[in-house]
Amino acid sequence: MIGNLGAITVGGINNMGRFGRFVWQSATASFRTCASPHAYSLIWTQMNIIGVRSVPVVMITGAFVGMTLAVQTYGQLAAMGLEERLGVLINIAVVKELGPVLAAVMLAGRVGGALTAELGTMNVTEQIDAIRSMGTNPIRYLVAPRIMACLLLTPVLIIYADLMGIVGGYLVSVVQFGINNQAYWSHSASGVELWDVTIGVAKGFFFGVAIAAISCYKGFTCKEGAQGVGRACTEAFVASFICILALNFALAVVFKAIYSTFWPLKTLV
Amino acid sequence: MNHDKKKDVPPAGGGDGVIVLENICKRFGPHQVLDNISLAIEKGKTTVVIGPSGCGKTVLVKHLIVLLRPNSGQVYFKNRRIDNLSENELNRVRTQYGFLFQGGALFDSLSVTENIIFPIKQHCKITDWNEVEELVKAKLAMVGLDGYQNQFPANLSGGQRKRVALARAIAMNPEVVLYDEPTTGLDPIRSDVINELVLKLQRELGVTSVVVTHDMTSAYKVADRIIMLHKGKIIADGDADHIRNHPHPIVQQFIHGQVDEDDLAVLRMSGKISQAQFLPRDFE
Ligand SMILES: Nc1ncnc2c1ncn2[C@@H]1O[C@H](COP(=O)(O)OP(=O)(O)OP(=O)(O)O)[C@@H](O)[C@H]1O
Ligand SMILES: [Mg+2]
Repeated sequence: MIGNLGAITVGGINNMGRFGRFVWQSATASFRTCASPHAYSLIWTQMNIIGVRSVPVVMITGAFVGMTLAVQTYGQLAAMGLEERLGVLINIAVVKELGPVLAAVMLAGRVGGALTAELGTMNVTEQIDAIRSMGTNPIRYLVAPRIMACLLLTPVLIIYADLMGIVGGYLVSVVQFGINNQAYWSHSASGVELWDVTIGVAKGFFFGVAIAAISCYKGFTCKEGAQGVGRACTEAFVASFICILALNFALAVVFKAIYSTFWPLKTLV
Repeated sequence: MNHDKKKDVPPAGGGDGVIVLENICKRFGPHQVLDNISLAIEKGKTTVVIGPSGCGKTVLVKHLIVLLRPNSGQVYFKNRRIDNLSENELNRVRTQYGFLFQGGALFDSLSVTENIIFPIKQHCKITDWNEVEELVKAKLAMVGLDGYQNQFPANLSGGQRKRVALARAIAMNPEVVLYDEPTTGLDPIRSDVINELVLKLQRELGVTSVVVTHDMTSAYKVADRIIMLHKGKIIADGDADHIRNHPHPIVQQFIHGQVDEDDLAVLRMSGKISQAQFLPRDFE
């Protein structure tokens, strides 16, 4: 029993170590990729595959989040006669937390799954070894462009999710519940600061890198066979999901500290 | 530093090969696949590796290019120790190799042409695309597949994939080519064309080849030297005649494709079992 626990701990630490090394190699490879223009076409291809096709799902996610928020909160606010403040509530929630997190979760499923399956299949059919045998670093050829693409695109996709969330919330509040249009927007504008939007989008960089790194790692270390690839995909999704939530919490703490230190200075300039 | 250098030079006697394996051991878990193998691959010669399925032939050739690292022992390429190099340093060494994987390992997201030019694109600045097209055409013609440039691997048969993979392995005109079962899955005539190709590369470009095969006809035809692997050891090593007349019973059995008594006994046993009747399940 205790021996088992020890074995699991050692296994876990080993795994973390390997993942750490993988991330380090990927990071250096990604920086090198930025410096070599002929790799841009690889990034561009990945951006098309990863980004363009994710736009619809991310927009649908955003729209439903906004609409649901409106439906759920209207009752409480209306009881207090504060229904005109609905806009602030919805838009802050969407822009700061729900848009980024849910868009990232959607991407972890859609993009992360595809990345793990693709690289996992390449791994079990020896295509990754083939890249090595031809004197090319597979991390540089396969992982770096994918990480760069996710890094650049996740924030953009989050903006889409935010926009649709705002539109969805607006439609339900103003069209269905008949809140005054003018009041809805003016409260929103005064309540949502540029800072809120910025941190929401900035989280995208972190989420994107986390999703790509975890998914690629799981693909690279995937076990033989169809079952192995399937398992790697599941593990990649679960790990990405937890990582997104943990990162979100950590970033909330960090951004809060930054905000309380620096934002008051804005009034000085 | 000086001391290290000295250690990196292979001891006299083993230093006459382009690739030299010294006391290589490789285990996967408890399973010892290679057991203290020493081997020097001679420059410009064709070395054939034979042995029963699962005896570690693929594992052995992967050590020659350090796609697998040994648990103990050393690998030398042109008198330089390579099994302890980092992946980045190895990549420079590996550009002098061509490796044909047993399963082909073509990139299925790339077309035939893109597969073949992959190593060129990675390592050379391409200025003249016409020249590259010519090269792809020539390499494909060598394996009898000119005209398939724009196909994708998924649309090719197993044998065709193997041949495209072969074209890719020799795209950079490497000095050393490692072929893992180049003729498996091909018809007899096409197999012979591949044999001729191996010989031609050796004759005209002085390529050093290592060929893993089960096909004794092909082995006798291309080999300057044949090595037989069994239970992790080299049990026979010599030219075609030496192997033909080798006294070891396992070698004789293998090259004549004879079943051994124990296997026959198992088959006789299972004859009785397969007579057992299983009642069909009712399907409601
Ligand atoms: N990555 C690996 N992990 C665990 N075991 C392995 C691995 N690669 C090979 N083996 C084991 O090593 C042994 C030799 O495998 P290898 O692929 O070299 O056989 P082979 O001689 O090439 O057989 P064949 O002629 O069928 O291709 C097998 O028993 C296999 O189970
Ligand atoms: Mg094999």
